Amino acid sequence: MYELFIAVRHLTSRRRQTIFSVLAVGLAVMMLMWSQAMMVGFTDEMYSKTVDSTMPHVTVEPQEDEDYIHLYRNLIRNINEIDGVVSISPILTGTATFEYKGKNKNVVMQGIRVEDHDSVMYINDNIIDGNFRDLEISPNSVVVGDALAEKLDVEIGDTIDASFPEANPTNLKVVGIYDSRTPMDETLAFTSLSTVQDFLGVSDVVTTILVRGDDRERAQAISGKIDALGYPASSWKETNPEIIQTLKMESTSNTITLGLIIIIASFGIVSTLFMVVMEKTKEIGMLMAMGVSRRSILIIFVMESGILGLLGALIGVMLGAMFAIYMGSYNYGFEVMAGISTIPFVVRIQDAVIIVLFTFLLNLIAGIYPASRASKLKPVEAIGRD
Amino acid sequence: MFDDVSDIIIQIRNLSKIYGDGVEIKALDAIDLDIKRGEFIAIVGPSGSGKSTLLHQIGILDTPTSGTILLKGIDITKMSDKQRSKMRNEELGFIFQYHHLLPDFNALENVMMPLLIKGTKRSKAKKMAFELLKEVGLEDRINHRTHQLSGGQNQRVAIARALVNKPSIVIGDEPTGNLDTKKSDSIYELLRRLNKEYNQTFILVTHDERMAAKTDRIIRIVDGKIAEDSKNRKDF
Repeated sequence: MYELFIAVRHLTSRRRQTIFSVLAVGLAVMMLMWSQAMMVGFTDEMYSKTVDSTMPHVTVEPQEDEDYIHLYRNLIRNINEIDGVVSISPILTGTATFEYKGKNKNVVMQGIRVEDHDSVMYINDNIIDGNFRDLEISPNSVVVGDALAEKLDVEIGDTIDASFPEANPTNLKVVGIYDSRTPMDETLAFTSLSTVQDFLGVSDVVTTILVRGDDRERAQAISGKIDALGYPASSWKETNPEIIQTLKMESTSNTITLGLIIIIASFGIVSTLFMVVMEKTKEIGMLMAMGVSRRSILIIFVMESGILGLLGALIGVMLGAMFAIYMGSYNYGFEVMAGISTIPFVVRIQDAVIIVLFTFLLNLIAGIYPASRASKLKPVEAIGRD
Repeated sequence: MFDDVSDIIIQIRNLSKIYGDGVEIKALDAIDLDIKRGEFIAIVGPSGSGKSTLLHQIGILDTPTSGTILLKGIDITKMSDKQRSKMRNEELGFIFQYHHLLPDFNALENVMMPLLIKGTKRSKAKKMAFELLKEVGLEDRINHRTHQLSGGQNQRVAIARALVNKPSIVIGDEPTGNLDTKKSDSIYELLRRLNKEYNQTFILVTHDERMAAKTDRIIRIVDGKIAEDSKNRKDF
């Protein structure tokens, strides 16, 4: 493999040019790696603050033309058998007007099985006053959001009047206040399933079943299997397409910008190679006189471009990863999105591998043009050129 | 008209080379030439007469406009780039006026290069290159690069490089044109000794009539034609 021998010697002989070319690619790759680590961290944080904590992976609705899921206990048993399902929460949702000392507010009242619901929605983590579990113990109790509590001016132990046309009015004792840092804190109240069933005057039915899987990426598969059971189910990707779109948009614009920087750095290599081809015209002619074929001349110069790209990519990826690991996270000092203000850097091996391969291939391709110019030189003209 | 075919290593028939970019210039005009194995030939002629063009055609560095060149019986004008490269590597050695050594490589590596291109193992190539550098008196300069060697030394390295693959034909384009008389004589003596030792064919283009007079045969080119071919100088 004398081509590699010549290519490496060319690069080591013009050390300064080589170092600058590698640095140009390296810096661009470092930025890409660093930014990718931030993007992955942002994505993880976004999922953890939304999909993993405030929304179910799959939502099951009543069958067509039905208002309720009647045989929900059977359905839960069947869903439980689906591979990857971790927890299930049946809920009955109704609208109610809450009134306390002359202040009133229309709210969405969700009747839940406390333990089941907590295992899907982790509401207990957001409780800031009182006890979520008391919903199960105290009959006619309610947990409200902090914003709703403020509107109605209620505290733990106060009793709210709940009413609505065609519903059975009832009194609900406030046993807990939660703060999810979302708009639902003002509109959503939790009570036991039986309380809402009594309030609405319905039998043992639910309006929705929420499901959590062991991995958010399996949600689609789980919802497909529930669909097959005859109940319309939607994964979080279908119910919240804006999350995917936002992340995709962020990620795409990020990749395009940084990809362009790498392409610009690669152009630097192309121009360096052109200079080398001009500089080494006589040598190329002499190599041809010694029996090097046009194909091998092409290989030599493409190799040079590839080696520069590979070195730049490896150095850039290492520096980018080290920089990201050293920083650990970046604190914006304000809420960027969905309660996210600090973004952790997540360095993934697969990102490093993809970036290195992309940069290497890009440089191989970029090197083809100057290399083909070199290979098309006529030996007699190349040797004779001054 | 021509020599015994069995001894002929290069057979040129009706070879023409026309350069044309608007105005046509006939650099070679229907040349017929036979060269025997082991001959030591000088091609002489005034500047622009076509002698270097003829040499480049024989060295497969350029393609003719018409005519044929048989090298060891094979028509090199009809070869692919790969075949031409192989032929240049295995059958031809080149020595130019300016040594054209690769400046990024030392003397030993320069001499090894044709062997590496041929596919010879590195260790064997190193040994063979060293032996040849020893033969041209540069065994103590093997790690020097071109800028660390004198003009004469560089030319000796170039000669070692031209011979390392044991080519049947060595072509030199003014191989001593850049050297003083003393160094020039020394290079000539070296080439002559190698010619006798290995029975290789040497074809040298030169302006140096003194040097040409020492060769076996002088071919004088004028206006792209052979004006004189004094074959019997060996007897002098």
